[in-house]
Amino acid sequence: MTWIRICCALVLVPPALGASLKLEKTITVPPEAVVRFTAVSPKGDWVAGACQDGRVRLWSFPAGELRQVFDLEDQRVSRLRFSGDGALLAVGGDRGGIRIWNIPSGKLKLQFKVGEPVVAFAISPDRTLLAVARKDEPAQLWDLTTESRITDLPARFAGSLSLDFSPDGQWLALADADTEIRIYESRTGALRATSDDLLLETFAIAFSQDSRFVYAGGADKTVSLIAVAGGKLLRTFPRQTHAVSELKLSPDGKILLAIYFDEKGLANPAPVVVWNVAAGSVEAQVFEPEVTPNGGGFLGSGRVIVTSSAGPKLQVWSVR
Amino acid sequence: MMHRSPLSRREILGRCLGSLTILCSTSALRVAKAVALPQAQHRKPTPANEIGSFYKKRAPKAAMLRAPGDPGMPLTVRGQVFNTRGDAPANAGIEVWQADHLGRYDLDGYRYRAQLPVDPAGVYEFESVIPGHHPDRVCQHIHYLVLAPGHKPLVTQLYFATDPVFEGDPDHNFGRDPLIHSRELVRPVVLGGDPREMQALVHFDLVLELL
Repeated sequence: MTWIRICCALVLVPPALGASLKLEKTITVPPEAVVRFTAVSPKGDWVAGACQDGRVRLWSFPAGELRQVFDLEDQRVSRLRFSGDGALLAVGGDRGGIRIWNIPSGKLKLQFKVGEPVVAFAISPDRTLLAVARKDEPAQLWDLTTESRITDLPARFAGSLSLDFSPDGQWLALADADTEIRIYESRTGALRATSDDLLLETFAIAFSQDSRFVYAGGADKTVSLIAVAGGKLLRTFPRQTHAVSELKLSPDGKILLAIYFDEKGLANPAPVVVWNVAAGSVEAQVFEPEVTPNGGGFLGSGRVIVTSSAGPKLQVWSVR
Repeated sequence: MMHRSPLSRREILGRCLGSLTILCSTSALRVAKAVALPQAQHRKPTPANEIGSFYKKRAPKAAMLRAPGDPGMPLTVRGQVFNTRGDAPANAGIEVWQADHLGRYDLDGYRYRAQLPVDPAGVYEFESVIPGHHPDRVCQHIHYLVLAPGHKPLVTQLYFATDPVFEGDPDHNFGRDPLIHSRELVRPVVLGGDPREMQALVHFDLVLELL
């Protein structure tokens, strides 16, 4: 079976444009704590892992030292995300719980419930707002200073799949299950633009560094560029062989890391593509038949790192 | 489905007396209809079930989802759209999407995806194949999106009592798929036709909540 996968990969995925994965660190976890997925802090100095035992573990990187273990107690972790400055780690659960911890102290800053399983969330750059996508229900915008809900952000049906605040804090973009991308004013939750050009669901979105554009990637295996003003689809990057699960923009705004998944089975290996956003071209593409990426981000130097799990080992790779 | 017991003479008299207040303000014809026609049965809303991945909008309008020669067991699904008052909502629309017999979704085109015709009485029917098992799901399923003006959108999924996962006992085993929260969504399957060309028939009514 593995050989079949490898052969298929060789046929489907073009050469890696000179790129490869270099194993930077292997972190061993208890056998019952296999890492399901990770979040990498904005500077690449922390890796948080959602583990099979229900806990979230926080390791320093590149040292790989375990620094904190967080518990959502009665819930399975469904989402992890660092704040833009890396000072907070937010964790969402499948029973609607959200907890936010200070990093690296591990002190609990805030906890509350949003009523439905958490699908995605984002913290505004000034750390005063939290937007939460909930399973099959309207997303919500929360004021973290008063711990109160500002408004709901409904789609035409079902809920939202991914969301992000713009770097300038002015906009909030939601990728909704009805396949539309909606742009809201962050402070009020007022709808300002809707993009209805995408036919399939978007699983990942990220703002451009100047807050004027949104990159959207999903089941259509492309990355699309959408204007915040008006919601017009401006451009689509060349289509790949797999669906997009995660997008991360580099600190300098020039590189977009796209992590893909196999829609025929999440456990199957899938590629990682580093996009040059100005040219809309592939800077590097890596497909390792034995690696199923489960997270990624950037180091302070701008280098791309990707995580994967191999049994009780969390592996951190750099893209060369 | 609820079954209405025959009305007693007291109930009939009570209803007629109750109608008199309407008679004062509306036409006699409407009251006569209210008395003569059986009232629609109140219905329990169809349980929602998660939308899952791979919804694709702008699916073609069609009732025939399978193409000639498609592998897999032919399937007919029919049912009716109601609201919780038991009425057929006006202008109801149903979209369905499913995997092929091997559990693969078509992301490039619109295979096994359709907007179904719904008649004014809310009746719908489509022809497809029993979907295969997607590797990331436990059970065979068909996704539904039902929209009607004045009603809450319904996103749900249809499951099959004959799914091997249930081992012939969906009452006890429907929870093997963690996404199935309601036994009601697991529908009986009637097998018929020539033994060499078996065909499956499923009945699935859809009940929308009013806004």
